[in-house]
Amino acid sequence: MRKYKEKIMQGVFLCAALVSIAAVALICLFLFVNGIPAMAKIGVFDFLLGTKWAPSNEPASYGIWPMILGSIYITAGAVILGVPIGIMTAIFLSRFCPKKLYRVIKPAIDLLAGIPSVVYGFFGMVVLVPFVRNTFGGNGYGVLTASILLAIMILPTIISVSESAVNAVPNSYYEGALALGATKERSVFSAVVPAAKSGILAGVVLGIGRAIGETMAVILVAGNSTIIPDSILSSVRTLTANIVMEMGYATDLHREALIATGVVLFVLILIINLLFAVVKNKGVEK
Amino acid sequence: MKAKRILATAVACIMAMSILAGCGNTQSESGTSGSGSKADSGSSFDTTSSISVITREDGSGTRSAFIELTGVQEEKDGQTTDNTLPSAIVQSSTQAVITGVSGDKTAIGYISLGSLNDTVATVKIDGVAPTVETVKDGTYKISRPFNIATKDDLSEAAQNFVDYILSAEGQEIVGEQGYVEVVENAEAFAGAKGEGTVKVGGSSSVAPVMEKLAEAYEKVNSKVTVEVNTSDSSTGVSSAAEGTVDIGIASRELKDSETTKGLTGTAIAKDGIAVIINKENTVNDMTLDQLKGIYTGSITTWELG
Repeated sequence: MRKYKEKIMQGVFLCAALVSIAAVALICLFLFVNGIPAMAKIGVFDFLLGTKWAPSNEPASYGIWPMILGSIYITAGAVILGVPIGIMTAIFLSRFCPKKLYRVIKPAIDLLAGIPSVVYGFFGMVVLVPFVRNTFGGNGYGVLTASILLAIMILPTIISVSESAVNAVPNSYYEGALALGATKERSVFSAVVPAAKSGILAGVVLGIGRAIGETMAVILVAGNSTIIPDSILSSVRTLTANIVMEMGYATDLHREALIATGVVLFVLILIINLLFAVVKNKGVEK
Repeated sequence: MKAKRILATAVACIMAMSILAGCGNTQSESGTSGSGSKADSGSSFDTTSSISVITREDGSGTRSAFIELTGVQEEKDGQTTDNTLPSAIVQSSTQAVITGVSGDKTAIGYISLGSLNDTVATVKIDGVAPTVETVKDGTYKISRPFNIATKDDLSEAAQNFVDYILSAEGQEIVGEQGYVEVVENAEAFAGAKGEGTVKVGGSSSVAPVMEKLAEAYEKVNSKVTVEVNTSDSSTGVSSAAEGTVDIGIASRELKDSETTKGLTGTAIAKDGIAVIINKENTVNDMTLDQLKGIYTGSITTWELG
């Protein structure tokens, strides 16, 4: 009797796991079946490297290179601004923070994680855009504003995962370094943090994934012009914004071009994950 | 050792960011006059500041009508090209354009005349200010019809709502909201018929007057609920073709590709497209050619002469 119960529960868990795999498989299938023919129709190089996106012209142009660059620039900006702050905060929270302060900071960060992205977008539009306009010039919408906003948005992700990683390092590492005569700061940065490297890296990858997929907040502050950004104050459009702004009414080839844009986004995320897997393995070998 | 490396990377990042900021700054400084337009608030508007051009997204009926009427869209040898400045800021609704222009002194944008409020100022085109009267008699040149797109198999409630919109009561509401009535000698509304839900969706320019019409209609016919949702003209028309909504609303004429899908367009109002500027902007008169120049990028500062 117990054997059957075991088998049945195993089956239930297997089904649950299969649901996730099925979901990913279906999404991949939908994207590739609809997107690849579109890329072939437009011409792969015209699509990926073309610099003009004008679907309502006759004849229409579907070049998404400016959008690919836009997504990359904004994500890079968010990473440069957000990752150092996030990792430093995580190390502080884990190793240096007094208990009373921790009780204030941790809920604040969790709250930050729960704010809907549209609210971030409004905050960006009403506070960040005038700030950037008055401090740096230009009209306030652009790569810099979007990067700052995205950096704030990915902070909670990076902080939570990195903090768990640093907390998970056995105390013996820290005590060992202290015993060898290192100061507290030296012990943390030379013994504890390297041991938590893979966890911190995982947090960073999650943050990057969120930044590249962020749509609503970015649409409200990035300017959405279909040009290749030439400075950090230049207006820019990301792949996600492109899909959202036009999907509602796109028909025929236009719609397929947008699905193909989704394929490109998918591939970009795959590449990022692969890169990090390679970097992580290299670290382990050392 | 590790601490030194982290510190070195951090300093390098900060230096890289400041170099990029420096590059960005010099580029924008050559465009704007730096403190000129910020320091003097209200008293003198700096006409050498560069224009911040705001436009609508591709599917917007307001945008299609605007680029056609101002000549920003060119048709040559069977090819249609939208020559809007590529670096123009794209906002996705009438309200977003108003927010954008009211927050930026050097901005210019275009919106439905009926949605105009007092947070922004309007520009006279060839000496004519955009008002309901000038749109009606045709002296204000930039105007377009509000159309509803319907298929032939409308439900009784939906057809009744359409009749209401085209009746004397409906057209009176259109006039009250700041648009121009289009039905000549409209008849009084025949009476409520039908029940259920009527779904309406599309242009963000038409939505305000459509919501007022829905409110008034629901008072006359308590068995019907009218739902109005906002996206843009092209989305509304394609939703009507697919059957997702009963009535699609568009702030432009229906295209040939849309009428072949079995949709009929009916004009319910006429609306002007008001060109709006920030309240502190003193340049409030321009010619149609100058407007075209601003939107195609040939005119870049507020010195219109």
